[in-house]
Amino acid sequence: MKVIIDGEAVDFELGETVLEVAQRVGRSIPTLCHEKRLDPVGACRMCLVEVQGQRRLQPSCTWKATEGAVITTQSQRIDTHRQVLLSMYVADHAVDDQGLPKQRGVGNQLRDQVLEYGTGPQLPQLPLRRAVREHDANPYIHFDAEACVLCAACVRYCDEVEAVNAIALVERGGRTTIGTADQQGLLDSSCELCGGCIAVCPTGAMTERPSLGIPPAPEPIRSTCNFCGVGCQVDLHVTDGRLTRVTSPPPGTTVNDGNLCVKGRFASEFVHHPDRLQTPMVRRNGVLEPTTWEDALQTAAKGLLGVKRRHGADALGFVSSSRCTGEENYLMQKLARAAFGTNNCHQCAAT
Amino acid sequence: MKKKSGGTEVMHALEEAGGARSGVARAVSGQTGVPEATLYGVSTFYTLLAKPDVELRICQGTSCALAGAFEHIAEARANGVKVEAVSCLGQCDRAPAALDARLEPVIWGGEGHVLPADPELPIDLGGADTAEWSALEKAKRIGAEAVIDEIRAAGLQGRGGAGFPAHIKWSGVRSQAETERYVVVNADEGEPGTFKDREVMLRRPHRMLEGLAIAAWAVGAKVAWIYIRGEFQACRRALERALAEAKPDLEVRFYDGHGAYICGEETALLESLEGKRGMPRLKPPFPTEAGLFGKPTLIHNVETLACVPAIVERGGDWFRGLGRTEAGSKLYCISGHVEKPGVYELPIGVTLEELVQHAGGYVGTPKAFSPGGASSGFLPMAFRDTPLDFKSLQAAGSMLGSAGVVVLNDSVDMAEAARWGQVFFEDETCGQCAPCRIGCSLQRQSIDRYLADRDAEHLAHVGVVHGEMDEGSICGLGMTASLPLLSAMKHFPGDFV
Ligand SMILES: Cc1cc2nc3c(=O)[nH]c(=O)nc-3n(C[C@H](O)[C@H](O)[C@H](O)COP(=O)(O)O)c2cc1C
Ligand code: SF4
Repeated sequence: MKVIIDGEAVDFELGETVLEVAQRVGRSIPTLCHEKRLDPVGACRMCLVEVQGQRRLQPSCTWKATEGAVITTQSQRIDTHRQVLLSMYVADHAVDDQGLPKQRGVGNQLRDQVLEYGTGPQLPQLPLRRAVREHDANPYIHFDAEACVLCAACVRYCDEVEAVNAIALVERGGRTTIGTADQQGLLDSSCELCGGCIAVCPTGAMTERPSLGIPPAPEPIRSTCNFCGVGCQVDLHVTDGRLTRVTSPPPGTTVNDGNLCVKGRFASEFVHHPDRLQTPMVRRNGVLEPTTWEDALQTAAKGLLGVKRRHGADALGFVSSSRCTGEENYLMQKLARAAFGTNNCHQCAAT
Repeated sequence: MKKKSGGTEVMHALEEAGGARSGVARAVSGQTGVPEATLYGVSTFYTLLAKPDVELRICQGTSCALAGAFEHIAEARANGVKVEAVSCLGQCDRAPAALDARLEPVIWGGEGHVLPADPELPIDLGGADTAEWSALEKAKRIGAEAVIDEIRAAGLQGRGGAGFPAHIKWSGVRSQAETERYVVVNADEGEPGTFKDREVMLRRPHRMLEGLAIAAWAVGAKVAWIYIRGEFQACRRALERALAEAKPDLEVRFYDGHGAYICGEETALLESLEGKRGMPRLKPPFPTEAGLFGKPTLIHNVETLACVPAIVERGGDWFRGLGRTEAGSKLYCISGHVEKPGVYELPIGVTLEELVQHAGGYVGTPKAFSPGGASSGFLPMAFRDTPLDFKSLQAAGSMLGSAGVVVLNDSVDMAEAARWGQVFFEDETCGQCAPCRIGCSLQRQSIDRYLADRDAEHLAHVGVVHGEMDEGSICGLGMTASLPLLSAMKHFPGDFV
């Protein structure tokens, strides 16, 4: 099956959208509300293309490729539409000294698109009409209504991926905003503070409160989250030797598919905490002292074997942390059963 | 798993519990299983739910503005009444109009007019309305295919504004493989200047209901919904009385609108009926294929359905022959600066001049008219002899739309009148798509700034912004929302110097 994209016959699979096919063959089509994990809604209107036989431009994110359909993704008509639409978005957005959409959070795709596609006439700025929840005391998620383009990716993510539905589109028309029931703070809502809304926000209107104003690191460090055994991959943004932000690798690339939980995304204060243990410690005469791993393990083994000798193996119990992986849990029960001879073993997440 | 929408019960539950008042979303979430944020999003979308404490709603539509609505608003405010200026209430013939806290009309103007009874008129607003329903019997006798043939022969075009041929939708629904189908009556009449559906429901409820029963039977639908403007309580009572008399073999359910003009757009109406925010859907798929709850759905305007019994009774050719430039007769609403505002059933293609003769003549010297509601913009009197039909008005850069004709005389500053239209669209855009949401605000801001200092610079971008609203918007609201300002600038340059 072939669809004609800008004169080129391109293979496609049943169910594929024009956007998917066009991007596969290297067409650049801007989008704001599109996010692979969410049902397409065609609301931002950036991705409109010409479909032969259709009087109106159609959203390529929802329009399905069909046999022989003739699609145009580059034309004067599309350029004019994109540029004027970008002018309108800018008029409804916080801008910097150069009149460009402000850069914040982990980037602003609106700004990128203005730079790539250009704008139409400069329109007068509109006053901010979208309400914010100023009294929202949650420590992690900041909503900046001035930078919101109402693509509703956050709302759809909260619904379609997390099934939490803490946020919704509220109000109508130009006053439409991202809100909660009665506009209460996120802590009083069903929000789990996973921060997925931040990850899907194209403009940085949703940002990490602890990293407000700090730009993303150019080369984040890939690591594995240490909070549980799932093994979510994280990208650590390090600025001047300090961890400033944790993001997920892009969807479709790692086990967590772009998602993180509240701990993985936000609970990283421990990294630079003065009380953080940095070496093994052994308590001698009631006082904790830094030591080597070799010494620490020897001391622990001696102690455990001592209990077994004096009171029998069943005086011992082994509990592993919920942070352990399945393999680590396996090794731990093996240690309990084979090395020490007791079945008293447990995993704290099993209850 | 939480439900995304509570279906048709949700809006009623929200209304009962107090709309957007604090705590309501949580309570209704408990009853319905719909997430509380989603419910709050629904409440705040609909004017009647968002502001449950308003005591007096005064219409600021064009005809009411001409009749002194703003003075009434100022006066009520000075008297400490909780007053709200609202979009057109569909009472333009009785302007200025208002609603009390129970949504019953407070009328300061006179009574609207209709033509005297005439059995040669398909709807015949002045005629006696009875539960006879002989056309339904005839329909069943001749069969569904024959009925659809008559509708085709009649050339019946949708009376809700778009003028789409009715028979195509009937055949479309009838030919679907899915057998669970619906018919939905669009009785959400909200286009400023339009009040014809109101008169049909009040005066000829049987006509509309019989047309509905014929349509439902012909397309194989067992359930019909009537989505009726919440402000039209008297119409709902009239329909309920008529239903009790006729006892049709069809399940008819009512659904009250809660104050959102956009819910007149058919797919926004369906969303609303499903208990959600009234945001139009992307088309295709069209409702005939995937409508209410994803099932094939025939949606018609009140007037379109009210034409059906006469077509079945007297034949499609008869109906077609009633028109002058296009098929059939049409309910024309007329208000503003005329002597006898009202709803007049006349051949399609009458001119403004003829219509105004029926309406007792102009008040003052006419300057402009709006032929089909706010979405049609304004035309100068040079068009007074243009046929008021779908094609001619489109060629004039306007539209027949819902045929809500408003006449403005030379006491009116067209820049001011344009502003009323732009305020309306800024208030009523659903806000889903950026061209319309941002464009409506830009246009209203432009005319406000112009009115403040009469500097034409403020209007420099009205045309470009309109271009993108027309090109990029999802639904018809955005496409036409700039017309009040754009047409006023084009036809009345003298008011923009
Ligand atoms: C912004 C907008 C508002 C509309 N409002 C109404 C309305 O109030 N009543 C109505 O019958 N149709 C309205 N329509 C038209 C409907 O979408 C639809 O075309 C109509 O209900 C179909 O019925 P018909 O074929 O009988 O006209 C509106 C359309 C748009 C785009
Ligand atoms: S054009 Fe306007 S009313 Fe229609 S969907 Fe877009 S924002 Fe809503």
